[in-house]
Amino acid sequence: MKIEVKNLTKYFGKFVALDNINLEIIEGELLALLGPSGSGKTTLLRMIAGLETVDDTDKGEILFNNIDVSKKDIGDRDIGFVFQHYALFKHMTVFENIAFGLRVKPKKERLSNEQINKKVTKLLELIQLDGFANRFPWQLSGGQRQRVALARALAVQPKVLLLDEPFGALDAKVRADLRRWLKELQEELGITTVLVTHDQEEALEVADRIVVISKGKIEQIGTPEEVFHNPANEFVINFLGNVNLFHGREEDGRLDIDSSLENEDNNSKFLIRPHELEIVSVNNKDAILQAKIRYIQLAGSQVKIELTHLENETRTVLVEISHYEFREKNIQKGDIVGIRPRALRTFENGAGI
Amino acid sequence: MKNIIKKTKLVLLGGLVATTLNLYAKDKVEILNVSYDPTRELYSDYNKEFAKYWEEKTGQKVVIKQSHGGAGKQARAVIDGLKADVVTLALAYDIDVISQKRKLFPSDWQKRLENNSSPYTSTIVFLVRKGNPKGVKDWNDLVKEGIEVITPNPKTSGGARWNYLAAYAYAIKQELGNLTNIDRNSEVFKIADAKALDFVKKVYKNVPVLDSGARGSTNTFVQRKIGDVLLAWENEAFLAINELGVGEFEIVVPTVSILAEPPVTVVDKNAKKHGTYEVSKAYLDYLYSPVGQKLAAKHYYRPYKPELADKEDLERFPKLDLVKINDLFVDWKTAQKTHFDDAGTFDAIYK
Amino acid sequence: MKTRSNSQTSLDESKAVQYLLITTAVLFLGIMLVVPLITIFVEAFRKGAEAYFTSFNDEYVLQAIKLTFITAAIAVPLNLVFGVCASWAIAKYSFFGKSFLITLIDLPFAVSPVISGFVYILLFGAQGWFGSWLIENDVQIIFAVPGIVLATIFVTFPFVARELIPLMQEQGNDEEQAALLLGANGFQTFWKVTLPNIKWGLLYGVILCNARAMGEFGAVSVVSGHIQGVTNTMPLQVEILYNEYNFVAAFAVSTLLAILALLTLVLKYILEWKVARELKKLKNEE
Repeated sequence: MKIEVKNLTKYFGKFVALDNINLEIIEGELLALLGPSGSGKTTLLRMIAGLETVDDTDKGEILFNNIDVSKKDIGDRDIGFVFQHYALFKHMTVFENIAFGLRVKPKKERLSNEQINKKVTKLLELIQLDGFANRFPWQLSGGQRQRVALARALAVQPKVLLLDEPFGALDAKVRADLRRWLKELQEELGITTVLVTHDQEEALEVADRIVVISKGKIEQIGTPEEVFHNPANEFVINFLGNVNLFHGREEDGRLDIDSSLENEDNNSKFLIRPHELEIVSVNNKDAILQAKIRYIQLAGSQVKIELTHLENETRTVLVEISHYEFREKNIQKGDIVGIRPRALRTFENGAGI
Repeated sequence: MKNIIKKTKLVLLGGLVATTLNLYAKDKVEILNVSYDPTRELYSDYNKEFAKYWEEKTGQKVVIKQSHGGAGKQARAVIDGLKADVVTLALAYDIDVISQKRKLFPSDWQKRLENNSSPYTSTIVFLVRKGNPKGVKDWNDLVKEGIEVITPNPKTSGGARWNYLAAYAYAIKQELGNLTNIDRNSEVFKIADAKALDFVKKVYKNVPVLDSGARGSTNTFVQRKIGDVLLAWENEAFLAINELGVGEFEIVVPTVSILAEPPVTVVDKNAKKHGTYEVSKAYLDYLYSPVGQKLAAKHYYRPYKPELADKEDLERFPKLDLVKINDLFVDWKTAQKTHFDDAGTFDAIYK
Repeated sequence: MKTRSNSQTSLDESKAVQYLLITTAVLFLGIMLVVPLITIFVEAFRKGAEAYFTSFNDEYVLQAIKLTFITAAIAVPLNLVFGVCASWAIAKYSFFGKSFLITLIDLPFAVSPVISGFVYILLFGAQGWFGSWLIENDVQIIFAVPGIVLATIFVTFPFVARELIPLMQEQGNDEEQAALLLGANGFQTFWKVTLPNIKWGLLYGVILCNARAMGEFGAVSVVSGHIQGVTNTMPLQVEILYNEYNFVAAFAVSTLLAILALLTLVLKYILEWKVARELKKLKNEE
């Protein structure tokens, strides 16, 4: 099913939650709506679901297969929705939870008990909770509950799957496992999916495309590579991954750091990611900065090094290098070193390297 | 043709039902007697007798429903819509008010039955504990320090108003000596009146609790054992003695007391609406019959026609000087207005 | 050294205070609750078991018991429906006048029952707002059973609502929204999702509502008319029996009310425990 959002503006009183959103969701893709709290991503998702409506004071439309759905009842939109806090029916077993959508269908459309049985059992296998049919939600772990919520949403064979920060309430490990599992499932089923998240790692990992949203506006739409390596503006680069901020001037592809330019215009701001910097000897002529190594974190896939500017101890720089490079260069805490950018890149509005 | 037959059947059926209902209705009739507090026992017995009499006389079964409470409260209930067929209350004023406010019966109702529509009368006496430990003999003992007097609230209770006026009657008689031909506009009267009111005030200063009805006060005195002397309807006093322990209480008869006339009347409009006008009239008339008068005396009410009652019952009533309401006031209306209405003398006591 | 002995005395002191508080509480409960309760039963059986049971043989007493049950049977379900509707509206939606509605629900608690009764007289009495219309159409509300039922409904309507509102607010909207998204209609959502979640709270509210409905005196007394065998509920009948010096019967009927009270307490205790368990389950989920 093709979903289009056209010129959508949503007000809550005087507050502008969404400002002229234009978006097309491609059939079969997993689209992530990524942004900080209050950015409007959840509002957008809920409007697609029908949980929020286009009121008289709002503008724009939402189209499913070219049909305006703002007048359609929530239950008629053929949507599966998964909540952050699962919203499982506490008083029903796992089986009944999943079967719910099938049981409330009008008499004409309702399947027989056997058919419902079969369907639910298949779904239980799909989510790998075969033996759990008669358990109650409070007997399950967070991850298990979310899988049941997913199965419940899928039971009625929706055309679109909407997930509202589905892994937000889970532990880091469970979160990581579950999102991978979701990605595989989604590819297998081929169902158009929209995922809301504030976790950029999650978005980068599972999404086919990412919509970066801030303050009700779309900052950028693109594949994970596009948004991460070619951020469209300062907000995107700041939001996706850690970043270092430098003030200075650019001359012939070289960067001159000058802290005195701090409060001047954007032309003097440069944002560089930790993995785009390398540690060199303090005398290296390509170094843009001298710094002292304060903290080294070895636990992780990369080595994370925290340094402070030699001239100004209050300014911090984050650098990420591979373990291999770390061992080679024999870096230790307290060393005075130089910092050099690995690559050069420019932005349109002047910020960045 | 079919239609006409159907219609006829319906009409006949309807007629049959209506007649049956009507017959049934005529067969059994129900009247509501709204009465004041202490008459529970009297009417419990009387109703049985009347029902027997009426069935023998007319073949109609009559069920009498009772409602009891403080006379003022009951009168107000009738005004607010309580569907009494007859009212048997503590004093004429309460019945007058019903007539005034709702016009449920003519304003000259009191003339319709003998003795100002009072088939029996009563008076106010004192009830004290066994041995009369505080030595209460007359009204002037009630104002002594340390004496606790139990009497109900005149705002709701009929008996309470008789109590109040009895005290007043005593005091004013003390001042004026003779109550015949008093000139209410004279200086002498005005001074006496003021003194009498002061006396009543002193009596009420000794009252620790005001119940809403005569029966409540009796309970306070007898059951809860509060107070040294209970101002009571004569019949209540006797009842207390005979129901709640002979020998535990004594009746003290004051030198002066008031003649209390608790009148009765049919509530014409209600009775006519219910179709109970005839039986209601008969119900009240029967109170004046030998059966009614005997029962009244038995239940310690002074019958209007003592010659119809049993002598033993009559002998129980003590002799005392009884003042009539009309000797003291022009009428009940004036008495009510002066003393018991808002901003009257009773209210002034509690300012 | 100094601190050690200080803490020693402070412990002793607090123990003494503890004992004092507990003793006071127990004494208070004993005097205010246990002793009167025992007295009711003692007085009821003062003249023996036969006298006790004979008290119930009276037509007026039986009618009073019947009227009490009929009144409760009407008032409680009505207040249940009203309570659920109001709680639903308050917990799930925001709307103009919401806080006013909440205040209104608490009104019967703030107003003296006697005043509540008088309001009905003001409305439906012969001299009241609707008085003349009622008389013309021969409809009797005050001083008849409908008036008693109305007065009872008024004084008991907060119970269910007050129980459900915090419960439903705590439970939030998510499950209902999930149900709607899955295609359930309003009624299905209410019946399958909302109702099972609130059932213990609901029962709790109903138990309290019932206890109050059966035991109400003030408001009912004002609108009753005290017609023997017709408009007297159990509490009113107790007063009448007492005023007729029929103390054994008065206490005998009181024992029925006392038993009802005890039953209510037991059920209340069980349901409280269940509701607490529900809330715990909720907390576990987050």
